[in-house]
Amino acid sequence: MSLVLAADYRVPDFDQWWAAIAGDLAKLPGLGVHIVVVYRSLQDASRVFVTIGVRERGPVDALLRSPIMFSWFDSAGVDEIPPIFVGQVVEKLNLDPDTLEARPAATGTRSPGAVIVGAIAPVGRLDRLLASIHAAVPRLAASGVRRFWIYRALDDQAEVMVLQEIATERQAEHWIRHPDAAASFMAEAGVGAYPPLFVGRLVQTIKLPVT
Amino acid sequence: MYICLCLGVTTTTVQQAIDAGAHSTKQIAKACGAGSVCGRCKHTIRTMIVAASPDPPSSNPDRLRRRWGRT
Repeated sequence: MSLVLAADYRVPDFDQWWAAIAGDLAKLPGLGVHIVVVYRSLQDASRVFVTIGVRERGPVDALLRSPIMFSWFDSAGVDEIPPIFVGQVVEKLNLDPDTLEARPAATGTRSPGAVIVGAIAPVGRLDRLLASIHAAVPRLAASGVRRFWIYRALDDQAEVMVLQEIATERQAEHWIRHPDAAASFMAEAGVGAYPPLFVGRLVQTIKLPVT
Repeated sequence: MYICLCLGVTTTTVQQAIDAGAHSTKQIAKACGAGSVCGRCKHTIRTMIVAASPDPPSSNPDRLRRRWGRT
């Protein structure tokens, strides 16, 4: 089983962290980590959104309390450990702006300059969310949404992480200000332990050899 | 989401403790253990306590606008 871990947090000195990240990355395959994706906020240069793909090898609790996990935050200078989303992919939609239809995500590539909007939020019934998203595909594509990836939390079946890739910053701003009803979950981000909407760009996708 | 990595405590569990009457990090730690080991998740626990209070400082309905740096 493959898991996705995600966290939204601030790194005091991004450049220093990024320059030294190789040491941290080298430790991750020991946990079963095979991919790390780092996004950086457009509004706050110290804020990052990191997703980590893990080939599950044991209990999630053991993974999270691993010294390697704490070391990841320590070396970034992060004192306050952020909440961590742990889940599995439910659906990956790539939206074709020409046909206004969804196509399999496996063929998709990230567009240069595209903006990522990340949300972790409670959605109530996931099946209803998925149905509304499918019904809204033409509208989503017309609004500039190019990818709509949905993950369900392991610990809460009503909690999701949604990563939306939007073609331009201007379209992303409009999308956030005037979201489609299918993206109403965005209004729940930022409440309680849930981080505010993340709006940023891809820094790098790092594939790691699994040991 | 997982809040306390040391003990694997989730938002659901912490929220249950808050709903049961815990309104400080000490009470949360006593109820479910969250924040009782390294303590580096206490800020998140405090955020949840504040959000659950009858009159949170601000529900912040305009947070999306603020996120784009405009007023």
